[in-house]
Amino acid sequence: MIRRTFAAQSAPEQSRGLAREVVGFLGQYLSDHNILHDLDIMLTEACANVARHAYRGGEGRLEVRLALVPGECVDLEIVDWGYGFDGPVRFENPSPEAEGGRGLFIISRLSDAVAVRSEGQENIVAIHKKIGKTAWKS
Amino acid sequence: MEKLTISRGKNALLLKYDGEVTLDVTPQLKRVLEAELTENEVDTVVLDLSGVGFMDSSGIGFLVFVNTRMRSAGKACYLCRLSPKVRKTLGLVQLLSYFQVIENEGDVAALLS
Repeated sequence: MIRRTFAAQSAPEQSRGLAREVVGFLGQYLSDHNILHDLDIMLTEACANVARHAYRGGEGRLEVRLALVPGECVDLEIVDWGYGFDGPVRFENPSPEAEGGRGLFIISRLSDAVAVRSEGQENIVAIHKKIGKTAWKS
Repeated sequence: MEKLTISRGKNALLLKYDGEVTLDVTPQLKRVLEAELTENEVDTVVLDLSGVGFMDSSGIGFLVFVNTRMRSAGKACYLCRLSPKVRKTLGLVQLLSYFQVIENEGDVAALLS
């Protein structure tokens, strides 16, 4: 298993940059551009959620903890130390007229498992994606 | 915004953005569009998405915002030239049939003539 941690501040530009940095790293191992795009969207959504909500208008630390098993799967943990999740977390697709609230739904559609939890001061979105052998660089 | 191209037809406005449509740019795109709609008489907005290689839920929110803004005023909003990534993302959130998507180039030209 390969592990790597990436970190940035939670401002919108930096949070998007962090997602791109992680996807760039994953590109060393994965050759399937559609899967890299899926991972990019999931990371961008999770990081944007931190930028938008975690520090309630302010900025704070944003971390992505990556673990990958070549030929098998990728695990991503998107972590912040902000105010945590308000109430129950929703993974449903909102109504078409809603301008927001689709991030976790998109992550749930593109991943094999997604979980949201708090541990001590850390708020964590954990994403698991199985990736078949043909998608990996040999 | 240097990646934004605005073309005008008779009471129609075509917006084309080349690049990623994410939380980085959607607030500014909203401001530019609002200014255009306030300053000009616009009956139809057409969003050209051919140059969008990546769009997140904030980008989807921008499309919904424009659509709602126009239709609630009795006006029209169309999407056109969807890039494969945009088509996939809108399909993922089941919005492809919610928006009015123009698939025919002739129809785009007619709106802007």
